[in-house]
Amino acid sequence: MSESISLRVNGIDYPVTIDQGRNLLSVIRTEVGLTGTKEGCDDCECGACMVLLDGQPINSCSYLAVQAQGREITTVEGVLQGDALHPLQRNLLEEGGVQCGFCTPGMIMSATALLQRTPAPTEEEVRIGLSGNLCRCTGYSKIVQAVQRTAAELADS
Amino acid sequence: MTVTETPRFVRADGPDKVTGSGRYTADLSLTGMLTAKFKYAGVAHGRITKLDTSAAKAIPGVFAVLTQADVPNVRFGPFVQDRTLFADGVVRFEAEIVAAVAAIDAATAQRAVDAIVVEYELLPVVNDAEAALAPDAPLVHPDWSSYGAARPMVRNRNDASFASIAKGDVEAGMAQADHVVRSRYVADGCHAAPIEPRAIVAQWEGDKVTIWSSTQVPFDARAGVCETLELPANRVRIIVPHLGGGFGGKCGFHQEAHVAALARAARRPVRLVFSRREEFLAPDKRREGITYEFETGVRNDGTITARRVKMVLDNGAYTSDAGFFSQIGAMHGLGPYRIPNLLAEAHLVYTNHQPSGSVRAPTAPQSCWALESHTDEVARAIGIDPVEFRRRNAVDTGAEGPSGQLYGEIGVQQCIAEAARLAGYGQTLPADEAIGLAIGWWPSFSVPSGAYVKIDGDGSGQIITGAQECGTGSVMTLRQLAADEVGLRAEDFQLVYQDTSVAPYDMGATGSQTLFNNGRAVVAAAAQVAEQLRQLAANRLEADPADIVLADGRAHVAGTPDRSVTIAKLAAIAAGGELLIGHGSGAPPEAPALVGSTCVGNVGMAAWVAPQFSCHAVRVKLDRDTGVVRVLHVAAAHDSGTIINPLAAEGQVQGAVIMGIGQALTEGTTYDDAGHQRNAALLEYKLQTCADVPPMAVHFVQINTPNAGPRGAKGLAEAPNVATAAAISNALAQLVGQPVRQLPMTAERVWNAMNATGAQGGAA
Amino acid sequence: MSFTIARTLDEALAALAAGARPIAGGTDLVVGARHGKAPLPADLVAIDRIPGLAEVTVTAAGITIGAAVSHHTLEGHPLIASTYSALADGSALVGSPATRHVGTLGGNIMNASPAMDTGAGLTVLGAEVELRAQAGSRRVTLADLWTAPGRTSARPDELCVAVHVPTPAPRSGSAYLRLEYRRAMEIAVVGAAAAVTLAPDGSVAAVRVALSAVAPTILSLGGLETLAGGSVNDVAAAVAAAASQQATPISDVRATDHYRRHTVGVMARRAVAAAARRAAGETIAIPVNRSIGIGAAS
Ligand SMILES: Cc1cc2nc3c(=O)[nH]c(=O)nc-3n(C[C@H](O)[C@H](O)[C@H](O)COP(=O)(O)OP(=O)(O)OC[C@H]3O[C@@H](n4cnc5c(N)ncnc54)[C@H](O)[C@@H]3O)c2cc1C
Ligand code: FES
Ligand code: FES
Repeated sequence: MSESISLRVNGIDYPVTIDQGRNLLSVIRTEVGLTGTKEGCDDCECGACMVLLDGQPINSCSYLAVQAQGREITTVEGVLQGDALHPLQRNLLEEGGVQCGFCTPGMIMSATALLQRTPAPTEEEVRIGLSGNLCRCTGYSKIVQAVQRTAAELADS
Repeated sequence: MTVTETPRFVRADGPDKVTGSGRYTADLSLTGMLTAKFKYAGVAHGRITKLDTSAAKAIPGVFAVLTQADVPNVRFGPFVQDRTLFADGVVRFEAEIVAAVAAIDAATAQRAVDAIVVEYELLPVVNDAEAALAPDAPLVHPDWSSYGAARPMVRNRNDASFASIAKGDVEAGMAQADHVVRSRYVADGCHAAPIEPRAIVAQWEGDKVTIWSSTQVPFDARAGVCETLELPANRVRIIVPHLGGGFGGKCGFHQEAHVAALARAARRPVRLVFSRREEFLAPDKRREGITYEFETGVRNDGTITARRVKMVLDNGAYTSDAGFFSQIGAMHGLGPYRIPNLLAEAHLVYTNHQPSGSVRAPTAPQSCWALESHTDEVARAIGIDPVEFRRRNAVDTGAEGPSGQLYGEIGVQQCIAEAARLAGYGQTLPADEAIGLAIGWWPSFSVPSGAYVKIDGDGSGQIITGAQECGTGSVMTLRQLAADEVGLRAEDFQLVYQDTSVAPYDMGATGSQTLFNNGRAVVAAAAQVAEQLRQLAANRLEADPADIVLADGRAHVAGTPDRSVTIAKLAAIAAGGELLIGHGSGAPPEAPALVGSTCVGNVGMAAWVAPQFSCHAVRVKLDRDTGVVRVLHVAAAHDSGTIINPLAAEGQVQGAVIMGIGQALTEGTTYDDAGHQRNAALLEYKLQTCADVPPMAVHFVQINTPNAGPRGAKGLAEAPNVATAAAISNALAQLVGQPVRQLPMTAERVWNAMNATGAQGGAA
Repeated sequence: MSFTIARTLDEALAALAAGARPIAGGTDLVVGARHGKAPLPADLVAIDRIPGLAEVTVTAAGITIGAAVSHHTLEGHPLIASTYSALADGSALVGSPATRHVGTLGGNIMNASPAMDTGAGLTVLGAEVELRAQAGSRRVTLADLWTAPGRTSARPDELCVAVHVPTPAPRSGSAYLRLEYRRAMEIAVVGAAAAVTLAPDGSVAAVRVALSAVAPTILSLGGLETLAGGSVNDVAAAVAAAASQQATPISDVRATDHYRRHTVGVMARRAVAAAARRAAGETIAIPVNRSIGIGAAS
């Protein structure tokens, strides 16, 4: 059965009418129209679909959209600081942490949440923090470097 | 969305990718677009006794249901024409497409798929490639001899492609040996597993179709569509949006024609997006399982006198682009060694498994794993340190390789020395740790390729190339080549790529060939523009064109830097007269000659242009109670010629090494007795996570390679995937007391090997 | 089809009485549906916003953990880490940070998978589950709760509201370990938890051990009473043998029964050893899997 609800994504309220069984990912990509969040699997194993729900990372592929009502959803499209890249986005590029880019939005969301709860993570903390995001291209090291560099920069500023 | 500040050095497609604004194929939607779904066989081998789509067609919202009866009756395949778009009376693997549906939404499409009635008479499942070679084995393709095939292919019943490489006299060589070491290894198949599952969108306008596809090889995909739907090339346009990784899994021609046929029948745009499960089961690109029987004769002084290797490769149900695997596999079974007497025989054998295809350095990582594990056994048999053994027996500059190729300058010995040094080979380690080392090799592929370069009136440049970017950054690097040629900065160029109707041919993101071949084309195209610029500058500066230097955004007269004019100015002048446009292709370097060897089934894979070499040295730790293995450090030394973009190159090596660790330890497809994959999900097919990744030291041996690509570059995307699993195996064998003879070397297999008493040759 | 977000416990209980199924984080329910394991229940009531259900309370008898407490909270909770360590060890291993943020203890328990990572720890800690329906509430032991894979003895109208864990005796420690092929995003191939109480002389005064993924439900090892008085090493060895002997594992794509039977003994031995070290006052960071042995950060 369809239900009309409101989802708040990147600070904007979107009225959507959706089936109750729909996952948040497909609603974000279709009804809300933001395709930065990716779908890479059907067993909640890849992390390409990661978004923030009230600041905490969730796999949007496996979260019911109706359950996200009244929460603040942040997607990769909400990470830019005005028109400027977030330091994490810039560092991912400068450190070479982006290849095909398909894992990148999910990585960015996981890393953002990690830096919020652990502003000065150890390398091991970064590795565990990103362990729900598979990347087949980079071998992860340059992504880890980018996150650590971002932590250092944010601490300095 | 516009991004105001661009970072220091970034890949041209980088801002799209970090902001989420970059579009991948599954992100596209067109007005009126339908959803495609396939009806798969579900059984590994069966004759279709009933196929009824009428109930599916009757469902409201279903716009098209297609079977083989609805498309031209064309058998296709790059090496053997053994395949049709849809099952033609018989299904030969579990995910063979029997029918395709286009419907208003995914749920309706799924209902239609479920409503298609198919009944089978089950046929015997050919589940084991070795058994399939037996003279009385059931045939996967009873009509094999009537199929068309590329001329050099040697075929016989289930053996779809036989290749052998022979040199010297193996019997005599074995007779000269002090020891003959025999071993058997078994490598399971595995998957490319890009994080983006494939997606295809097709739309017809009149008699022309545009297909957006997540392919690594748009021109190949176009050729496949043209062949199977009987269309001329100029009516099929393939566009590749951003591509979410490929690793060979998205090489070749896949489902583009199915989606195009659906869109034509439905008279609507159609989109297909694979689920992860489909991505595991349906693409005809899986890394082939291989069994190996080695026999190496060696003298006590450490010289190899002879080698014999027999390989059986699991082709799967159809020969996609795997036709050359037997020959390139044979090369890898012999290895980069100096061996006077040798015989390699490789059979690519039909089974009722998913078809094999070009996954990142096809045949190489598993063959390197087997051969290099065997090589350590040989070294141990005569009590020589494995590193020393390789120093003595590996090929070198001026040496002759197994297929009779004489090498110009190559860096394999430097790779061995560097990897051993970076790994701290020889250091004292805790009892549960060891360092293993392995060498690998891979060709550069010399093929035709084309590009255009133009500079517009405002001085900004564009490269229009057929090359395909799949994440490696090689297309990104093309900007640097063009920029250097005309005296601009890489950032002054934008790339237009991945569109078959706009740019000239390129083979695509396959065979690590982009820089090697398209680099050559871009340099040639940019050189034409540079020539025009020199002419214009010469006129303006009243100098000889030959004296004009293009650098730093200016053209100046050699020796007098202040006699100059900006390239922007020259571009403005050109905009009012003869436009600045170049096109290029350049002659591909020729394959080297082979001397003294005999190659049967020769598809051109025994003579390697600008071969790449590598050595990986890996330190591992073993939990002796459980067989769980952890990789603690990887040292990777590579001779891939000149490294033009160090950041991207290092990223290639790191990514490939981690893939190699996965292949070594956790990534392998297992089949049940009925020929179904048992672990077609990421939870059960385990890629390495960020938490598993060890520290890594990467070194590039940059030497002056003859016959290489632009500036001495070779390829790079595949080579670093070759030697990792082998090095892990050689470390592990020291801890276990014998090699773990089946790949992946899962914890349970390691534990079994530790507990096997004197087991030799068997696979757990 | 209906989906209700319960604002109070009474609302949730009323929904259950009307036939709805509870959903907390959905990491089992939604993932299972998406993966085709079981269709999503037609009527759902979300229990993740009920005040108080996500709280950890210290009581005279021990600790009470609300059913909606997330694994993330459990792995980082100082008291749970120090005193109920086996539970924290288990929660810290669940999925990824995202799974741990949304996945709840109640969901883990009520999902009743034999491979669950908190079950063995809760069992050795002697936890009881509080089930509540409109008619009232009752407490059941874990052994009484889990009846088969994916099955509990709870009635459909009963909500798990809390888990009660008694305060361990002095000089006690606990630990949970699992066999994993990667350092993250794993599912227990086998797992074992141990709770050890040491006598003043360093010998083992009491030991309890429970195993995951080797039986239809979490398996509590029997016959360990006789081990009291033995040294930690001897007890660990005896426990390993008992674990391998009492386990009834299956063969599947992750491991054969043979290998599981062996490795569950290894996990049990290590769990006893780690629990004893903790009982002796040593701090082994949560989770044991990533602090010592092959999974330790290098
Ligand atoms: C990627 C991934 C990795 C995972 N890894 C692990 C792992 O390593 N170890 C592990 O143990 N688990 C793992 N899980 C499983 C899952 O995350 C946990 O079991 C989690 O604790 C479930 O909690 P939930 O709140 O999400 O449950 P839900 O999915 O919301 O519910 C699970 C079941 O319990 C019922 N239920 C929920 N709450 C209550 C309640 N209070 N009272 C009565 N019934 C209730 C629901 O109706 C449902 O049947 C993993 C899951 C995913 C997706
Ligand atoms: S899409 Fe893979 S975890 Fe959500
Ligand atoms: S960059 Fe391709 S998957 Fe991470």
